[in-house]
Amino acid sequence: MSEPLLDVVDLHVGFRIFEGYLSVLNGVRLAVDAGERVGLVGETGCGKTTTVKSILRVLPMPPARVTGGRIDYRGRDVLTMRRREVQALRRRELTAIFQDPLQSLNPVFTIGTQLRDIVRDSAVGQGTRLSRRAVEARCIDALRETGMPDAERIMTNYPIQLSGGMRQRVCIAEALSTNARLLLADEPTTNLDVTIQDQILRKLDALVDEHNASVVMITHSMGVVRDLTQRANIMYAGSIVETGETRKLLEDPKHPYTQGLMASVPKLTGEGISEGIPGRIPNYLDPPGGCRFHPRCVHRMEICSVEPPPFFEIGNAHRAACYLYQEET
Amino acid sequence: MTADRILDIENLVKHFPTKRGVVRAVDDISLFVASGDTLGLVGESGSGKTTTAQCVVGIYPPTSGRIAFEGNPIDVAFSRRPKELKRKIRIVFQDPGSSLNPKRTIKQILSVPLKVHGIGTPRDRLGIMSRLLETVELPPTEYLYKHPQSIGGGEKQMVAIARALATNPRFVVLDEPTSALDVSVQGKIINLLMRLGEELDLTYLFITHDLSLMRNVATRVAIMYLGKLCEIARTEEFFRSPKHPYTRMLLSSIPVVTDQEESLKPEKIVSRGEIPSPVDVPPGCSFHLRCPERMPICSDVDPAMRAMDDGRFVRCHLYEPG
Repeated sequence: MSEPLLDVVDLHVGFRIFEGYLSVLNGVRLAVDAGERVGLVGETGCGKTTTVKSILRVLPMPPARVTGGRIDYRGRDVLTMRRREVQALRRRELTAIFQDPLQSLNPVFTIGTQLRDIVRDSAVGQGTRLSRRAVEARCIDALRETGMPDAERIMTNYPIQLSGGMRQRVCIAEALSTNARLLLADEPTTNLDVTIQDQILRKLDALVDEHNASVVMITHSMGVVRDLTQRANIMYAGSIVETGETRKLLEDPKHPYTQGLMASVPKLTGEGISEGIPGRIPNYLDPPGGCRFHPRCVHRMEICSVEPPPFFEIGNAHRAACYLYQEET
Repeated sequence: MTADRILDIENLVKHFPTKRGVVRAVDDISLFVASGDTLGLVGESGSGKTTTAQCVVGIYPPTSGRIAFEGNPIDVAFSRRPKELKRKIRIVFQDPGSSLNPKRTIKQILSVPLKVHGIGTPRDRLGIMSRLLETVELPPTEYLYKHPQSIGGGEKQMVAIARALATNPRFVVLDEPTSALDVSVQGKIINLLMRLGEELDLTYLFITHDLSLMRNVATRVAIMYLGKLCEIARTEEFFRSPKHPYTRMLLSSIPVVTDQEESLKPEKIVSRGEIPSPVDVPPGCSFHLRCPERMPICSDVDPAMRAMDDGRFVRCHLYEPG
């Protein structure tokens, strides 16, 4: 097999704040192959967005600091690239959709202005200069692709004139108009209603197929991951605790955190809801040593508070960072 | 029949006049809640579920229509409601971060309803507050003197629940009580609410947009779309055979996590179109623009709510007799 498109290795990122040092990412490992769809699932504050921002190198530094690890994109470390190279990378290869389209769209420019800028700029990045007419045509195509009914009119509108679903479609159009290879989608449908979410995700799915891009789908919804991705990574308090083929992982979760999470998701079968996971996510100022989940874990052992667990193979590319599976390796 | 109905809403209408036109937030809905029931009110954003709840609690007086609580009409302005009513009907809001005063300690927050309703003498209020915190499973010694910002989101919501229960209510409106929380915390709150509901003999109006959650908590489900009700049914029947096309679209759109659940979903209905603005509601049935089973009549005549044999109500031309 060829080397992965994106390979995040043992990434440590922290933030220096007034009260001290928040060590947020604690050895994140994440690999994405070309054409693959990977899900990154976790609850609020587990470091999903920090991971994405590190990959895009848009974290404000300071206060953020990368204290270890690598982010290899096609064999080159993004973290050590020069600014110019990163910009070229963002123009040509990487693209992102964020949770709140109102914050990622500029309120004082029309959709057309913003979309044209992106198309023109990324074309320059890819070494071609487009005529004004070609830019216009591509923008309208990009909007139409997302299922927007009246693309010409939308181009002259401001973001506030559109509904939430339409705005997110614009963001998807912007992200996909550049023919990027890797799409980072950070909770793209969290703010939307389910019927609209369904539309947007289906559209995104079809477009990604068409453009043959890879996707990292970040979400807290297990259902969305199940529908859209091939491989899932479960994140807790700054590290990946379990990774595996999505359907198998959700059917038979191994890590105690994943098990607790799956039991807490309300189901249509109506069998009631479990009590959830006791306690809450640790304080990053002073995270627990060893496995960061151990204070909340029901299977806690002595070693858990001492040494952070490495990944243990459970079979079929299914791995869990938990000492329960130590013998099996 | 009407004896066990704790809440009875008839032809409730709430319009908000704005510069751009009249927002028809709630447009002629009728429903009842039986004593001891949990009625789940489900709908997408802007469908009017919160406005309905706020009319019940008294935050807005209705534009027209009747609301009766325990047989007595309560559709007057909040300032003219008897205090006794305010004691019996309580509400828990969606975001505990903004419904709890950040400058007050939890003790101060909990003491307000006690003082207003004259419950206990000043001397035994501390004991009452401690017991309230115990009922929501928060150790009082640890939490009484904390400020909301120093506790987690789930715990804040527990405090909000304790505040709602402070006056020993009969009816509690839960306005998306867990939407702002993570699933691992949600479980605990929901189980607590269900347990308290039984112990204290409470009736809930549970508002949410999460149908999977509804399946696990509600005894009856009502679906709202653009200020109108589409369907009301008992939970099991509702999920076994949804009738209204919108309900089916909604059910088939929810992402699920197991194969077993997948088999329970109705046949996939491709969701299309946008939710129209409540200022400019389409003529006829408000759903007809997005409906997969649209008929010519749908764009002209708004269907009426119709009772089916099994105690279910559906508002759709598909189920008109003849």
